Amino acid sequence: MTGEPRAFLALDLGTATSSAALVGRVDGRWRLLGSTAVPSDVPIEPAIAALVAAIRTADPHLAGLVRLPVGAALADQSVLPRLVARTRPTAVLAVVAASTRQLGPLVALADRAGWRARGLAAETSDPVELTRLLLAPDVGAILVGAGERPAGAERRSLVALSRLVASAATRRPELDVVLSGASAAQAGLFASGTAGPGSNPEAAPAGSARGALLLGPALDAGEPAGEPLRALLDQLRAGDGDARAAIARATASLARVLDRRLETIEIGATAGLRVVARPGLRSAVVASAAIVPDEVDEAVLDAIGYWSTTALDRHRLRDRLRELRRVPWGDPAGEGALLRLAAARAAVGRLVASTPDLEPGASPDLVIAAGGAWAVCPGPVVGLALADLVRRPGISQYAFDHARLLAPIGMIAHEEERQDVLADLADDLLVPLGTIVIAGDVRAGRNPAGQMSVRAGLESGELDLVAGGLQLVDLPPGREATAELRFRDPVVIGARGRRFEAAVSGGLGGLLVDLRDVPLRLPERSDRRRQLLSAWQAALWPGLER
Amino acid sequence: MNPGPAPDRSGAPRRPAARPGPGDLPAGLELVAPRSLVREAPVARLALAPGDRPLVGSGESVVAGTPLAELARVRRAAVIPAAAVGPDAAPGSWWAGAAPRRGAARSRRGPDEGELLCRTDGSWQLAVGERGGLLEAPAAGVVRLVRPGAGISLATAGLAMAGVLATGGPVRGRLVVLADARAELSRGALDVGLAGAIVVAGSRVDAETLTRARAMGIHGVVVASVGSRDLRDLAASEARQRASLHPPAPFAVLALEGYLRQPIASPVFDLLVALVGRDVAIVDDPPGLLFERLDPPAPSPPPDLVRMRAGPAVGREGRWLGLAGRRRFASGTQLEAGLVDVGEARPLLVPLADLERFA
Repeated sequence: MTGEPRAFLALDLGTATSSAALVGRVDGRWRLLGSTAVPSDVPIEPAIAALVAAIRTADPHLAGLVRLPVGAALADQSVLPRLVARTRPTAVLAVVAASTRQLGPLVALADRAGWRARGLAAETSDPVELTRLLLAPDVGAILVGAGERPAGAERRSLVALSRLVASAATRRPELDVVLSGASAAQAGLFASGTAGPGSNPEAAPAGSARGALLLGPALDAGEPAGEPLRALLDQLRAGDGDARAAIARATASLARVLDRRLETIEIGATAGLRVVARPGLRSAVVASAAIVPDEVDEAVLDAIGYWSTTALDRHRLRDRLRELRRVPWGDPAGEGALLRLAAARAAVGRLVASTPDLEPGASPDLVIAAGGAWAVCPGPVVGLALADLVRRPGISQYAFDHARLLAPIGMIAHEEERQDVLADLADDLLVPLGTIVIAGDVRAGRNPAGQMSVRAGLESGELDLVAGGLQLVDLPPGREATAELRFRDPVVIGARGRRFEAAVSGGLGGLLVDLRDVPLRLPERSDRRRQLLSAWQAALWPGLER
Repeated sequence: MNPGPAPDRSGAPRRPAARPGPGDLPAGLELVAPRSLVREAPVARLALAPGDRPLVGSGESVVAGTPLAELARVRRAAVIPAAAVGPDAAPGSWWAGAAPRRGAARSRRGPDEGELLCRTDGSWQLAVGERGGLLEAPAAGVVRLVRPGAGISLATAGLAMAGVLATGGPVRGRLVVLADARAELSRGALDVGLAGAIVVAGSRVDAETLTRARAMGIHGVVVASVGSRDLRDLAASEARQRASLHPPAPFAVLALEGYLRQPIASPVFDLLVALVGRDVAIVDDPPGLLFERLDPPAPSPPPDLVRMRAGPAVGREGRWLGLAGRRRFASGTQLEAGLVDVGEARPLLVPLADLERFA
């Protein structure tokens, strides 16, 4: 952001929805003036024009102050600059390995690098099946995976497999090929001219390169094992300008600005993202954590059925999920909203299960929900959904990237400039959802488990703590309070003890004290489970007619 | 259609906007997703698998029905000595010629021909299979790209009506409308007189009707929606047939709207009616119905016609009245909405995301 712009547009162009936020310079600070979102098949320009017109109508003085352009000038980036982050549809990574023993972890690793992975092992598939996979039109890259020192039979199989991949590469010269671990020794098959034009065994990984041959680390290399290979595959997929990489950068910058430990959980149409910032920055894009994954298999149906508060037979559920994947912005109200929430919960479950190495040692100070999956849910329910699945005894604030600003701001190249904008926008960037206290090791059946008093200024209140339950304290956004929790038996909230005192802040959901099991255990019987989930949800979902 | 909406407490327009002329987009409608009724000169990607033999080359002009490839069935890998293959052979080339038997293949007859997959030390691996029929051009056009083992891209000369999913294509046949846009096709409506036809089956079709249609020699079914279970049952039935000695007859299904029960959009159905008796083709990638230009062309739908593509009123159509701002919907969800005249006393308030217009 150089020069003297008084306003800029922050665009997050996703695969399901496109969002536009207008940020203006008011009283020497960047402020969010308004935002809008439309399905991705609606052109964004009319949506921008409507947003600007609405702001101009609502506050003509402000519009003049930030020099909002009109008409064709809206598209003139010298008048109204744009920060644009894009999410592209993910291609398929064909994963081939010598043995089925290697294949499973490789496919899981590719999934954690954001690829839609499809795999075959030479041990169980003939060259016809393997070639068919490699030549499939939706395949965008190939990974030949192996360990560092394969055994004799596996090594021989790897040579034959690499020849087959090199042959396929001559027929699909646009494919990137990654030779990992011991398979890198077969790079000569490609370098000798067998590989497609542009192949270069020494090439550094670059997402923009096409037809590149990349030598990657082994599946078992690095700490944690596989991380260097995952990072290479992630970079290959994302290339430049990827919205999820930008969200990770923006989260890290925000952590520095706020001097707090942050975790961002984003659920989108093509993948899920988990970012843990401060200390350091760790993140993973998980393709199977899309709100509805590529394949609606039995496990996906089970998981979504588990979290659903409505009864649907499996065939009907599968059809509705396929429709949700096809039209992710559709049916956003009523039963559609409930199904979307169940699918989002299941996606968070897959995201958390796929990223155990990202689990922060202690509860982060702030957990940020992002992504289109949450767009139509009431804020308090978003916080509850995350607390259902990301269960850590501790106290965290929760917030929502409502205007989808994180990704466009993450596109600002310079860290200092990014931090300046974030520092200005910190109050507008996130909608506070509230504070959630999760206690572990709460003894069931000993009620009341203790007492809690909340002091906010001159007001104070006291309530009994109920083991296995959720308790809500109304604490509006912007309100600070001190919560004192006194338990009859020792529990874990960060540390083990009976008495805890913490500063908490309000939000749309207020203060939520969660004394349910860690991890959460729900009734096996589906009707009882639905009843319990509905009861928890109803307390936080105003207007829910169920 | 109702001439206009009744007064609305929620602030809806009391009088409908003037009906726009052709080419005009009514105010606010630019925020509704456009849906193309037809696409010009579509490119169809026709899948090949290793062992299928392309019969055309890139740049060749073809007419509908031209054999594009010889398809294989029961594919397997075989090995032949490199000496049996010319030095310039490349992966993907077709090899034809008897070869000395070698290794495990010694006990059975060596392959006569096949697709070269990969050269190993002193030998070539190839994909072979029994001949299983021809892949024919679904429409006239120019072969843009041939990739043995992967597919053929055909730039067609006509038009395409886009669908949501298709399976079993490409197939060709004359179009017959057997059910209305909202109706469901009954099994009794199918008979052998429809052999070779592509039939329009209305809003929904089940697996039994699809299986019966295939047994009658019908080449394809065009329907608004088809459920996952019906597609799975059809696939299982086809797999059983493939396992038998007789290759399955060509049969494709094209769903125009989605997986959930709903009628065919009225402009789409009007176009299908205009195509009755003409040769059309179903293709899988991208899913659609190919056909030649109509002369005179089918009339365009009115620019203010909108359809609900999702939500509880999926499939309903009406006239766009204008933006309604942010409104509260079931379950308390706040959404940007539009007002649609559906011919009832009051206009319908619909989330913008649930609407589509015809471009």
